[in-house]
Amino acid sequence: MSATAVEPTAGAHDAHAHHHTSTGLDSRKIAIWAFIGSECMLFVSLISTYLIYKGKSRVGPYPHEVWTDPSTGHTFGAILNIPVTSFSTFVLLMSSLAMVLAHNAVVNRRVKRTTFMQRLEGNSFFWLISTAVLGIVFLMCQAYEFTSFVHEGLGLTTNLFSSSFFVLTGFHGAHVTAGVLWLCTLAAIDKKRGLREDEGLVVDMCALYWHFVDVVWIAIFVLLYLIK
Amino acid sequence: MATTVAPPTFAPAASSPSYAGDKTGVWSWITTTDHKRIGVLYLFTSLFFFIFGGLEAAVIRAQLAAPNQSLVSAELYNQLFTMHGTTMVFLAIMPLSAAFFNFLIPLQIGARDVAFPRLNAFSYWVYLFGGIFITLPIFAGIAPNGGWFGYAPITTMQYNPGLNIDFWVLGLQILGISSLAAGFNFITTVINLRAPGMHLMRMPMFTWMSFVVQFLVVLAFPVITVALVFLQFDRFFGTNFYTLTAGADPLLWQHLFWIFGHPEVYILILPAFGLVSEVLPTFSRKPLFGYAVMVYSGILIGFLGFGVWAHHMFSVGMGPIADTVFSLTTMLIAIPTGVKIFNWMSTMWGGKLQFTTAMCFSIGLVAMFTIGGLSGVTHASPPTDLQQTDTYYVVAHFHYVLFGGSIMGIFAGIYHYFPKIFGRLMNETLGKWHFWINMIGMNLTFGPMHLSGLLGMPRRIYTYDANQGWDLFNMMSSVGTAIIILSTLIFIYNFFASLRNGPRAGRDPWGASTLEWSIPSPPPEYNFAVLPNVTSRYPLWDVTDGHDLSREHHEGHENRDDRVPTAKELGIPMPMNTFKPVMAALGLCIMIGGMTLKHVNFYAFFAVVSGGGLTLVISLYAWLTSPLEEAH
Amino acid sequence: MASFPRFRRFLSRARTLRGFAPLALTALMVAGAAATAGAQQYPNTTFNFTTDLNEATTHLWDSLIFWATIVFVIVEVGILYIIFKFKARPNSPDPEHVHGNTTLEIAWTAIPAVILAVIAVPTVRTIFMTQAKAPANALQVEVIGHQWWWEFRYPEYGITTANELYLPVSRTVNFKLNTVDVLHAFWIPRLGGKRDLISNRTNYLWMTPRDSMTLKALNGFCTEYCGSSHGNMKFRVFMVSPEQFASWAAHQKAPAVFGVAPAVAPVAAPVTPAAESTTKAGQVGVALANAAAPAPVGFVFPREKLDISTIPTATAPASITFPAGMTGDATRGQAIYSRSSCIGCHKIDGNPMSAGIVGPNLTHLASRYTLAGAVFENTTDNLVRWIKNAPAMKPGSLMPAIGSGEYNPAIKANVTIGGLSDQQIADVAAYLQALK
Repeated sequence: MSATAVEPTAGAHDAHAHHHTSTGLDSRKIAIWAFIGSECMLFVSLISTYLIYKGKSRVGPYPHEVWTDPSTGHTFGAILNIPVTSFSTFVLLMSSLAMVLAHNAVVNRRVKRTTFMQRLEGNSFFWLISTAVLGIVFLMCQAYEFTSFVHEGLGLTTNLFSSSFFVLTGFHGAHVTAGVLWLCTLAAIDKKRGLREDEGLVVDMCALYWHFVDVVWIAIFVLLYLIK
Repeated sequence: MATTVAPPTFAPAASSPSYAGDKTGVWSWITTTDHKRIGVLYLFTSLFFFIFGGLEAAVIRAQLAAPNQSLVSAELYNQLFTMHGTTMVFLAIMPLSAAFFNFLIPLQIGARDVAFPRLNAFSYWVYLFGGIFITLPIFAGIAPNGGWFGYAPITTMQYNPGLNIDFWVLGLQILGISSLAAGFNFITTVINLRAPGMHLMRMPMFTWMSFVVQFLVVLAFPVITVALVFLQFDRFFGTNFYTLTAGADPLLWQHLFWIFGHPEVYILILPAFGLVSEVLPTFSRKPLFGYAVMVYSGILIGFLGFGVWAHHMFSVGMGPIADTVFSLTTMLIAIPTGVKIFNWMSTMWGGKLQFTTAMCFSIGLVAMFTIGGLSGVTHASPPTDLQQTDTYYVVAHFHYVLFGGSIMGIFAGIYHYFPKIFGRLMNETLGKWHFWINMIGMNLTFGPMHLSGLLGMPRRIYTYDANQGWDLFNMMSSVGTAIIILSTLIFIYNFFASLRNGPRAGRDPWGASTLEWSIPSPPPEYNFAVLPNVTSRYPLWDVTDGHDLSREHHEGHENRDDRVPTAKELGIPMPMNTFKPVMAALGLCIMIGGMTLKHVNFYAFFAVVSGGGLTLVISLYAWLTSPLEEAH
Repeated sequence: MASFPRFRRFLSRARTLRGFAPLALTALMVAGAAATAGAQQYPNTTFNFTTDLNEATTHLWDSLIFWATIVFVIVEVGILYIIFKFKARPNSPDPEHVHGNTTLEIAWTAIPAVILAVIAVPTVRTIFMTQAKAPANALQVEVIGHQWWWEFRYPEYGITTANELYLPVSRTVNFKLNTVDVLHAFWIPRLGGKRDLISNRTNYLWMTPRDSMTLKALNGFCTEYCGSSHGNMKFRVFMVSPEQFASWAAHQKAPAVFGVAPAVAPVAAPVTPAAESTTKAGQVGVALANAAAPAPVGFVFPREKLDISTIPTATAPASITFPAGMTGDATRGQAIYSRSSCIGCHKIDGNPMSAGIVGPNLTHLASRYTLAGAVFENTTDNLVRWIKNAPAMKPGSLMPAIGSGEYNPAIKANVTIGGLSDQQIADVAAYLQALK
């Protein structure tokens, strides 16, 4: 070994020395990845519970099967509304697209934009708000779905299916809500003073989170709605 | 290759602007964002809870000293064993490890602080408030009483209508948030804030093991969060996750709990492994044997730790195939664990062993953990496990792992790092007394439990009949507990006496090799005047003279050798003190803890929860919109 | 363990010392325990050759302990050697900085792996053997866990009993395990195996007791935490010959018609475990008048064969008082019982009023040695106090206090309406003790 196992770093007094990172990435970006890893386990647990309890409910209504209540003789149809949820899934997918465009708009501020379409592409506020609005549309679909379930006689406490379904999709809805609030905050900042190009990371983190929530929904859509 | 083998030097330390001394007063500690101060807060709080959990154990052992005793009621006994487990796991051992994560990781990797200093403060305060929340009910006799494992359905409203389980569910949620926040913080810190040249494979072993632990935390805690959310919703809103009449399967809880619970075991033990891996080389005057293998085995243990959970459930009747799979994975995990034992022994082999108290505790860990590990292998085999599970044999097993392993390692860490943390050395004579009495006490307490278990004594029984062949072993265990208490009293005295009067420690009283020993003791608030450039795993050994060199760092900035400049003089920006994380933590804990009021008074529930939530939101807003450091 | 005949022989000689095998922890412990070792002292010892199940398990355990002991000795002796050999001495040279050795690393990865493989093969074989389906001709016993007592049913014989289990030797018994409330676990340490009782699930556990177990009385325990009185949820197992079992079963099946002798001839001399008054000098006690004269009953496990460990030593708390020398009348007791709240929970075959199913079946209560989940001896003293205030004798007991003026924690008030006077309790006790 050399006699210089520990030696002062060149330029240690630079302001940058303090913000030096081993990977060159901002710490917040690594933290959000760790957070998303953790969130994966959260949703894996929730989805697994739903699948474990699938078909174990002692009374209906059921997600995909018709059920007649033996005490009242009332017949319930399959409860899940695939067309509406397909629409809301599409909406959420589109919101991810808007999110990508929002990020793109913020980090490419210096690109010269002349035509309407170019200016639209560079309008970060528009894309941020669009993402949020699409998220809100998704939430409204979910609210509609929840309300119609309750009207049809499937409440939170009805059976194993309803408990695991509402808690899983409710958790996802809460995540979408948090994302919408995050997006609105970014949009407000953008409106007030404009997000700078070097603040791309802030949008990037939100985008990572948003895409993650989106991907989780696709898993939920496939496992809960499409697979019978 | 020249090495520093100087005996411990007890030279008076420089009058330095240490992290502890610059700003004093209670307020400065409440608002601190310095990882070292937060580490010290963790240390004191978790030692308090460790003693509290020990007292709970003492009552348990007094009750079981002889058959048919009624010192405590069955109900109180159930609360005591539940809280003993919960306290030791979540309020003592995990945060004792966190004390070391906080204090050491930035020093070992050559960083000025953790990645998110305010989040770090937040983690601590959430832990403190959550700990208080979950501990207080025992004084009213309404403490959690479902066991630390809380197997449904005994925790459901139907079988446990009181507030007991509500405290447990909400308390664990609070503590989980603390652990998760710390997990994200330390993962980021280790990945991103290493000094130049501090490659992953140059990191000290403690940092490595802690790094693995953070991954276990962030991946395991969400699972118990979900299990607890189900339970809370069942109790609060009438969902059916554990409702038997709706057809719920009680094994859902068990699977979720142990998917968290088994990695949790490694969360408890790996930091102790890390500490011992620092102490053994130091006092063997040899590098750690098989560094790379130690790293990989730690990673492998963490990885396999997620694949063995159902070995806690061999008696539930999973069927032969599941039993076989989990039996084999469990046997597999014994291999990297054994590798660690042999590497520690080889580290000592051919060394020049100095039996400081820290070294004694480290060797104690190797010797005692081996017993816990081997008894663990005996219940990796499901047929034999069926004769052992839920008996005192299992109690003996995991106490050899957690007391003989984690606690021994943590004591080693405390004796080893006390001079770095407080600038003074602990008394070695009292330390030896502590070690030997502790060693005798723990073997006398937990050794006979192997026998009472194999002789058929079930766990968690508040009393037992005479003539079962258990009397002698139970009496031995209870006497052993008294001896452990005696040793702990010696430790407490030594700790506080040394804090006040211990001889001053120099930078590197042990002749240790890693970066944290290159800076003054206690370290200045900015840790490193100049971020070091690391070219070796053992930077202070792989140079001609570690002491001289570590002093060189500061020579550019100071004329006198014993004066260390302040951060301001050096122009190093430091995180500002702030009370926003405390307020956010307080708001969070009031919000979650206040939910217990739902079963008492709805208006009070609503007022407290929304008040806490509002405090949290306002504090978070103020926190996120204020800068970390003063403008520079 | 066939491959280690010498070790095998050593172990069979040291059978009673089996408990010490885990790692010979400290010399102190071994010395202390060895001094008192003996089968008599350790009635619940776990690894035996009492059943086919436990024999298979014990072979595995032997092999595990054999290898564990070897590793233990290597590590601990190694540590001691290193401590003494490499202790820093004045003038000892600085150690060479060895960073590792690939060959060694491979060795101590591979050797434990081989050892574990050696253990894994018989482990897997035993798993599949012991968890196979029970033979079709096995004796079916339904075990139903309740907070905090055991219900045992023998569907083949139409018997329902509580807390005391009779098993014929040499016949495979297949336990079907269910619980009506929270989780419990069924464990007879001496016979081996342990299975949880899981709500909404059914588990099975089967084994064949060896002939050598005839006339052995064993302890059974609940080993899954189940609430307040988890420690009070025990049971007894009486191992009997097939003939004795047949006699017992025939009698238990018959309704307990109070005062009418059952038609089954006893095999062994009739034993009346509980009926005699246990009033001792200085103790409060109840003398029974008008209890039916000992009727010829079926086989009952002989009292003199009871292991000392199976005789409860717990005593009723002094807070439950009962006047000394009070005499109960069984006929009166039957009438009181039949219109009291008792019948809501308890069943007595032969008493058409008593058809409850929540509590233990009392049909042949007097043929049992224990009360309340094998916590108390079935004596008159204990029985009257149990009837008077069960929750004070067993924390959390779902059976309420019945004695007039006693505190009933379930309603947080003293018992008034429907409470029984001490005389009435003595009468009921006399009736129950007539139920042989």
